[in-house]
Amino acid sequence: MTRLQRISPWSARLWLAGLIALTPAFAGHAGEVGTGAAPIAPAPVSPVQQPPGPHYEDAQMSVRIVMRTPDQLTAFYLGREFNRAAIAKILDTCFITPIIHNKTLDVLWLELDAWQFSQGDRIIPRIKRDYWPDKWREAGLAQAHQSTFGWTLMPEVRDLRLDEGVGGSVVIPMQSRPFTLTMKFHTGADRQGPVKTVVFEDLQCVTNQP
Amino acid sequence: MRDQPALMPVVAWVCLLLSWQATAGELPKGILTLDGRAAPPLLLENMDGASWDISAARGHWVFVHFWATWCGPCRREMPTIQSIFPQFDPQQLEIVLINVAESEDTVFGFLASVAPDIVPLMDSDGLVTERWQPRGLPATFFVDPQGKLRYLALGGRPWDTPAYLDFIKGLISR
Repeated sequence: MTRLQRISPWSARLWLAGLIALTPAFAGHAGEVGTGAAPIAPAPVSPVQQPPGPHYEDAQMSVRIVMRTPDQLTAFYLGREFNRAAIAKILDTCFITPIIHNKTLDVLWLELDAWQFSQGDRIIPRIKRDYWPDKWREAGLAQAHQSTFGWTLMPEVRDLRLDEGVGGSVVIPMQSRPFTLTMKFHTGADRQGPVKTVVFEDLQCVTNQP
Repeated sequence: MRDQPALMPVVAWVCLLLSWQATAGELPKGILTLDGRAAPPLLLENMDGASWDISAARGHWVFVHFWATWCGPCRREMPTIQSIFPQFDPQQLEIVLINVAESEDTVFGFLASVAPDIVPLMDSDGLVTERWQPRGLPATFFVDPQGKLRYLALGGRPWDTPAYLDFIKGLISR
């Protein structure tokens, strides 16, 4: 007896993607168009990938700082289908992406309010999460994209456990001159351990290379 | 000789205690024990349009995994989830992928080549994920057969390696 099976949309799409990949006329183009039919999408630019940048490391922790060019930010958020108006709001600011790893401590506390951006004696105020909802309303950014944006920001507070890492963007107003980032980290489950301080000097908001 | 039977409960208790300590001490790297609070609501549709509700998943463990294609560790981890997917009976461990706020085309473009056996749930606006409050992406929660949050895996983990497979097998054999 022949049994008819309902093919689910997921299975049908898999089957179609396989067919397109195996068809010579389409195979060479599948990866280039980057649509849903392409079985292999181009690798996205991710804020948490790790190109070279200022770096600090000791036995207990490591920190790498990545500065994103406007082109990199545009490519990343356009790739996530953000609209141009939203991307313009992002490019008005300066994104710094630290990547932190707790190598050996029981708990390493990430607390963005314990970090300071400065130029000489002048403190540069950090742009916090509550800055963005008004900007997204003005730009007409969909809720899904607002959610994605939130996940690309560094958490405000995180008790980083042994071998836990975190990466994300910290935002300040655009700066034309170099600045210093002073990071303080409490340690220990009760935050009563020694405070670790890491300083990065001469950081710059980057522009596109000519 | 006559004292031996009287000692048996004590010996058994000590063995049980040692066994529990060994289990507690043998959590694989990056697995946190949670406090057992109830799992937040989770009712979403998958890419086939079928609804999935965690409240209907009582009686077995659930591997609840939050991810997105733009997240590098998520992309590196996904093949290991595909690798373990066929190894577990969904009546013992159900593996559930939740994509965070991406389009079907984006999700399909990645998952079809990396984890074609798993039809993901789509958290289209990202709000369900925010209720679960993962510590970033990717994140995996283990929900016990009573619907309680028991463990959280920090970041991407190599699920197809012995330490993690043994951990999962230990859970479902309880």
